[in-house]
Amino acid sequence: MWKIAWRNLWRNRTRTVIIASAIAFSYGLMLISMGVSADSYARMEEKAREATGGSVLVHGAGWWEGQGSDVVVADPEPVMTRAEAMPEVEAVMPRVIINGLLSSARGNEAVRLSGVVLEREQALADLREDLVAGEFFSEELDSPVVISEGLAQRLSVEVGDKVVLTASRVDGEVTRALFYVSGLLTSGMAGEADLQAYAPLKLAQEAVGMGDALTQVGVLVSAVEAQNEVIAALQKVEGAQALEVLSWQQAVPEMSGLLEFDAAVNGIYFVVIFLIVLFAIANTFLMAVMERVREYGLLSALGVGPGQVGRLVIWEAFYLALVGMLAGLVLGLTGHLTIASVGIDMAAMGAGDMEMAGIAMNDLVVRSHLEPGRWLLASAMVLAVVMISAVYPAVRAMRLAPSQAMRFYE
Amino acid sequence: MSDSAAGEDAPLIEVRDLERIYHQGEVEVRALRGINLKVERGEFTALAGPSGSGKTTLLNMIGCLDDPSSGEVRIEGERVSGMSRTQAAEYRLGHIGFVFQAYNLIPVLTAWENAEFVLLMQGVSREERHAILDPLFERVGLAEYKDRKPHEMSGGQQQRVAVVRALGSRPRIVLADEPTANLDSATSASLLDLMLELNRERGVTFVFSTHDEMVIERARRVIRLDSGRVVADERDEGA
Ligand SMILES: Nc1ncnc2c1ncn2[C@@H]1O[C@H](COP(=O)(O)OP(=O)(O)O)[C@@H](O)[C@H]1O
Ligand SMILES: [Mg+2]
Repeated sequence: MWKIAWRNLWRNRTRTVIIASAIAFSYGLMLISMGVSADSYARMEEKAREATGGSVLVHGAGWWEGQGSDVVVADPEPVMTRAEAMPEVEAVMPRVIINGLLSSARGNEAVRLSGVVLEREQALADLREDLVAGEFFSEELDSPVVISEGLAQRLSVEVGDKVVLTASRVDGEVTRALFYVSGLLTSGMAGEADLQAYAPLKLAQEAVGMGDALTQVGVLVSAVEAQNEVIAALQKVEGAQALEVLSWQQAVPEMSGLLEFDAAVNGIYFVVIFLIVLFAIANTFLMAVMERVREYGLLSALGVGPGQVGRLVIWEAFYLALVGMLAGLVLGLTGHLTIASVGIDMAAMGAGDMEMAGIAMNDLVVRSHLEPGRWLLASAMVLAVVMISAVYPAVRAMRLAPSQAMRFYE
Repeated sequence: MSDSAAGEDAPLIEVRDLERIYHQGEVEVRALRGINLKVERGEFTALAGPSGSGKTTLLNMIGCLDDPSSGEVRIEGERVSGMSRTQAAEYRLGHIGFVFQAYNLIPVLTAWENAEFVLLMQGVSREERHAILDPLFERVGLAEYKDRKPHEMSGGQQQRVAVVRALGSRPRIVLADEPTANLDSATSASLLDLMLELNRERGVTFVFSTHDEMVIERARRVIRLDSGRVVADERDEGA
């Protein structure tokens, strides 16, 4: 029986090859696109998390609304200690964020100054990588600040020059603080990133009279799954009522919303492809069945029951799926491995300086990443689609009355 | 009359008041209008009649390929009309061999695979299949053609493979619907002689339809049909 199904498959070679290639292409492309999108999501998330400041962010309650210097984590000690004690936590990053004005002899520019402990930021992103001149927090300078190249140009300052920060203090008074430019960051980044400036944490705290308080505690969690656990733990720390503990997705919902939307579009795209393949195969099989009415009649006359006739069609579909998917697997894996090792430079693809919800997605090199679970799921789905498309033709074949089938030659 | 009373004494085939009406849209076609006949074991019977007289319809009823509108067919006393399609398929597998006018063979299988197909379905072992089919292939002169696909054989050769398959399944009856219609007269004659010899040698019951007088002459019993009725039933030992 399987012999008949297998050989039947090769009777109309052109048709079989076309359908098998359709299966191969959709399956192969599906694998590649799954790999690439999984990886690009991971990377975009990584970027977004980097830009946001960590997987989990702790602020004074209500900070996200105004981002004012007056909303602080007054006593960061318990939160930091608790976070550091958790094995899932990779880094705890105390920060002060000051939205203010930076002035030089030439003019004033808006700035978003982050007071950071450089060593602690390392785990999230190596800020020094983006340095184009000077260094991060030169020892020789009293009050070092690192600003973006663009900002430096607009202020006409160079490494070693003086700048003055104007910002509001914790108590609401306006204050000024003197800084020396210690280094310049690449201005490849568009938009908001250009506002960014960095200073040592202590200096920033002093500049706005914060004492030991912080604006933000960024927590980097090793696995996404552990994020909620960490949030729950931090929400129980003493004094947490005055705090806001959010995941980065909650903190910048536009960003994660965009990623989800993109995933949904991808999903719809797959459904459409599946439907097309489904109808194409169903139609081809129906044609094949109708062409072979006489043969199914003959088989039936010879004593092949209706159920077995149906199974014959299903077997043929199974073989077709097998052939198509084997080819698709070769195609998909080749693509996957190539992209995984070479990578696709999104910038080179014209997507350079891409921005999503205000977060720069530059120098994104996407590689391919395939999870076995999703790969299996995709394979099962393709197989299921092929088999489902054979069901109706199989039923039609079963229903053929042997006597009618045999009359076709008259 | 109960089925159990029938058994060995019952005629091999018994057709009673058989009617078959086809509905073609509004039109009713009365293909069989009350057929009564009996066929005994070992007979070599031709159903003769012009095209459209109901020969194929009658063979379909006897072969459980179709159900009558009324009346019944009994084989060895057992009522075979009105079975489910799956039951009918099983019955055919065990009891009836078919030779059709054309397209008898499954195109993707070789002559040998076609011949052994029914035996495979019957669950016959490989050795037995060879024991049954090798002599038959030899007998019909196709021993060299076992590995050929149907399209690599002539019409007469294909029909002979069909005969091998039909006999190989060790059926009670071999039904042949115009087995020679697509063959030239010489090939027809030799196919018919072959069937006749196998009928004598093995005692297999043949019922075949034809409208070819040359073929009819060779039959030992001729049942003539016209417009769905039996118009004559002649036994002729002269063939
Ligand atoms: N499926 C069908 N639907 C309608 N009419 C049919 C069908 N099959 C056969 N007939 C009619 O039944 C009659 C007998 O046909 P058939 O048994 O094929 O005759 P024969 O085999 O002797 O040529 C013919 O008039 C034919 O047109
Ligand atoms: Mg006919």
